[in-house]
Amino acid sequence: MKNVKTSSGNKMVLRWSLREIWQGQLWPVMAALILIIACVVALSALAIRVEKLMTAQGRSMMAADLVFRSANPIPELLLSDARNLGLTFSAQTRFQTMAFSDNKMQLVNAKAVESSYPLRGDLILVGQDAQIRSSVQPGELWLADRLFSLLEVRIGDLIAIGDAELMVSGKIESQPELTFNPFRTMPSVFIHQSDLHKTGAIQLGSRVQYRTFFKGENNALNQLQGGYKLQASQGWISEDNQGRTADLILKAKQYLSLTILMVILMASVTLVLTCQHYASGRANTVAMLKSMGASKRWLLRWLLGQVVLMFATALLLGSLLGLGLELLLRLPLTGILPEQLPSYGWQPFVFAASVALLIGLPALGIPLIRLLDTSAIAVLQDQVPTSPKKGLWLIAVPAVAFLLFYGNNALVWMVFIGLILLFLVLANSSYGLLNLLSQSKWEPAMTLALSRIKRSSNRSIMQLAALSGSLMLLAVIWLVRTDLLGDWQQTLPPDAANVFAINIAPAQQQEYLQKLDKNNIERSQAYPIIRGRLTEINGLNLKSSLSKEQQRVHVLHREINFTWADRLPIHNEVRAGEWTQTNAVSVEQSVAQDLDIEVGDSLSFSVNSQNFSAVVNSIRAVQWQSMKPNFYFIFTPDVIAALPATWLVSFRIAEQQIPILNQLGRDYPTVSLLDFRIMGGKVQTILKQITWSLTVLAGLGVISGVLLIFTLLRLSLKQRQREITLYRTLGASRKLISKTLWSEYGVMAIAAGFVAVVAAEGIVFSLMKLGFKLEPSLHIGMWFVVPILAMLIVFASLMSAIKQLLKPLK
Amino acid sequence: MSLPIIKARSVSKSVIANEAEIAILNDISFEVFSCETVAIIGTSGAGKSTLMTLLAGLDIPSKGEIELLGRPLSQLDDEQRAKIRSESIGFVFQSFLLIPSLTALENVILPAILRGDGEDIDKAKQLLQSVGLAGRETHLPAQLSGGEQQRVALARAFMTQPKILFADEPTGNLDQKTAENIIELLFAMNRNHDTTLVLITHDAMLAKRCDRTLAIHAGQLQEL
Repeated sequence: MKNVKTSSGNKMVLRWSLREIWQGQLWPVMAALILIIACVVALSALAIRVEKLMTAQGRSMMAADLVFRSANPIPELLLSDARNLGLTFSAQTRFQTMAFSDNKMQLVNAKAVESSYPLRGDLILVGQDAQIRSSVQPGELWLADRLFSLLEVRIGDLIAIGDAELMVSGKIESQPELTFNPFRTMPSVFIHQSDLHKTGAIQLGSRVQYRTFFKGENNALNQLQGGYKLQASQGWISEDNQGRTADLILKAKQYLSLTILMVILMASVTLVLTCQHYASGRANTVAMLKSMGASKRWLLRWLLGQVVLMFATALLLGSLLGLGLELLLRLPLTGILPEQLPSYGWQPFVFAASVALLIGLPALGIPLIRLLDTSAIAVLQDQVPTSPKKGLWLIAVPAVAFLLFYGNNALVWMVFIGLILLFLVLANSSYGLLNLLSQSKWEPAMTLALSRIKRSSNRSIMQLAALSGSLMLLAVIWLVRTDLLGDWQQTLPPDAANVFAINIAPAQQQEYLQKLDKNNIERSQAYPIIRGRLTEINGLNLKSSLSKEQQRVHVLHREINFTWADRLPIHNEVRAGEWTQTNAVSVEQSVAQDLDIEVGDSLSFSVNSQNFSAVVNSIRAVQWQSMKPNFYFIFTPDVIAALPATWLVSFRIAEQQIPILNQLGRDYPTVSLLDFRIMGGKVQTILKQITWSLTVLAGLGVISGVLLIFTLLRLSLKQRQREITLYRTLGASRKLISKTLWSEYGVMAIAAGFVAVVAAEGIVFSLMKLGFKLEPSLHIGMWFVVPILAMLIVFASLMSAIKQLLKPLK
Repeated sequence: MSLPIIKARSVSKSVIANEAEIAILNDISFEVFSCETVAIIGTSGAGKSTLMTLLAGLDIPSKGEIELLGRPLSQLDDEQRAKIRSESIGFVFQSFLLIPSLTALENVILPAILRGDGEDIDKAKQLLQSVGLAGRETHLPAQLSGGEQQRVALARAFMTQPKILFADEPTGNLDQKTAENIIELLFAMNRNHDTTLVLITHDAMLAKRCDRTLAIHAGQLQEL
């Protein structure tokens, strides 16, 4: 009869596992798992919040979650679909018309909106007695600030908008849907949709644009977009494709994906190594248990129990740590982030657990499968390791998941494939470099270290690959951030022009510029503006000579602004040819590319039915994102200087210079002043937010990388414990041991750091060129920073481990 | 006379080292009967431990056959051999081989759990008491001396009432006095549990305490 105290034994096995976790046998694996989970939780939580914020910002600038635009009235089918999908929507009709006051008239951009406009973002209207309003009501008319001076009106005056006569309700303080194109912007007026018919603006053939703003769940929006087939002159506007901020947001989102991927990769390397360490440490126990008759099934259950327990503990601790980390990461963002942050829900935790599981499966699974094959005889005799191919199929698990998750993200694939190719190259380059070093004469400690690295070549190569790989990844994270921010700061500098003055008559030009200079207003050079069309390339009519694809190029469909100058603007970069002084034109590179225009081609143009030709002397790169006057075609003065032109100048108005701006408006009523201060401020705010977010994310990426490298080195030192302890027992001094370790790990760190920088430069170069479509550059500072950082990590890990290493054998 | 509990017929074992085949055991045949105490002696490297691993089913011979409890080991797979070990065999090793993260009591219980018998705490306590370690149940191996650790290993070996006990140099890591105590205990427990003992040793004096002594020399076995 069995004893009453007999139980299944599961309790004891559980106690055993818990004790092993508590006593630290499983800590290296746990630490790697916790690190992966914490990093992924923190990064993805922050990424989700940043992405939501960026999306919200983008959407607030387009007044909705999604906008449909069309040259014809909005199809009823689309609206009924939206209704069925539970989406809120609001209609807008915009057209250009003349506004007449008692004394003046002005071409305006009229927007007839519903009271629900805007669905996102802020519309700030300031009415009588500075009363703030946020929507347009029937019978109201709201004017852009500068229209008050242009039309010489006040609140309460009557203005005719087309055929309708409306009373001015107040001024538009701030509105979403701002554009940056100085040539297309004209002052806005807001009226209510119900007053639209009174204006008589909607007539057959009139140029009207209809927009419908949608707000609702992303799924419903996607369904609406996917279920509607666009007709000619229709289109969707979303935060991913609208104007200036879209590019910013898209690149920031790509960077987020990239950072998370890199952190995961770094953590995976550590997890793989810690798991191998864990499995090799278990071999003796497994052999002993087998000698006592443990079946494979029992061993599997025991090991799985331990792994599940370890995973659950790591998930709990990692999630808590991740939450703390996210909180810490947000500290520098206080003041930039809104008080009410969007929630991230369960997604980061599920994502972190899935990532840890997907990486953990092969990382832990493969060595565990091999561990189960440990022979019982290993309890008495050292055994040759079992088949190195066993369990490799487990790698397919994360590979398939990766394929499904990142299937269509070209940027991530580019990095991933690059990394795989680089992995071996990195390891072998570092090893080759060390081999080269070992040819020279060194002091004994260094010679010993180099010979040890050479002797255990496989292990050294693995260590070097892990070290240089991790260093490379963290260098890439930081460099991509630096390059992205550099590009944004360059194209959207805080001191960019915020006012454009156009339609300056030639007679006014000198006086106008002098006035700006006298008031110490920073300004661009003045550009003459002549509107015209491109008609022929090398004597061939565009309609007959170009392909259908080429005929869609937008510069062919409308009059564009030409200018002439003695030299090219300094912010334009010549990509081919060079600026000459006579009978020449410089072409912007995207137009040149689209129309196959090359240096030396002869182009014909038409301005007010007057035809003329010029030879292409150069192709220029233009940053359209920058708030600078930019042109597709810049001529030498002899070609078009004789044609009638008006002038344009851009300048920056500081807060205290606003009265000067108002005075300029009064002194030169025919000059149109386009005020981008509010828009510029909004973009600068977004840029500031994104800059901070990316810096914090990159910082976290680098910190994770440093921690992972630290863990790697600690593991490696732990594997050396026995050997070093033996040296110590035999009487080796602390100095000798430290020196040998320093030489071995120091030389590895420098070699890995150097190789990592070379590889990082290569990856960042391709990422910038092919992924982000930006100009790549070299980062000399990194060539010193990375090896020094590697040395510092080596120093920290040696210092933290040396006491334990120096304990003699008992 | 009863049937042999272990039967070795023309057993040879060789290993490959540096692409050369080295013979460790060469055509060995002998039998061990139930409740016998048999010592296998020989110099270091003579192949004593290799023979023990073959007899206990931890490894299989290159040639020949070993029958353990009437079952030919070469016809059993790893799992079947493990089952025989968990049901009928106990081990005492030179280096104790206790699980460092388990207490003395838990180390003793472990073979029962492996066999699927569950945690028979009372029996384990009794065994610890019988090896003189009452009150030390909750101590971890690191908190015990070498002699105490080997006592725990002895208690563990008898936990599943094995038919055969293999003891591989059980006193090799102990001082003389402790070693004598452990040997006394080993033989006493063997008697009390009616176990067949196969003792691997290089100590001829110790071997004399056994019913029979087999000596290995140059891969050959000779009954003394």
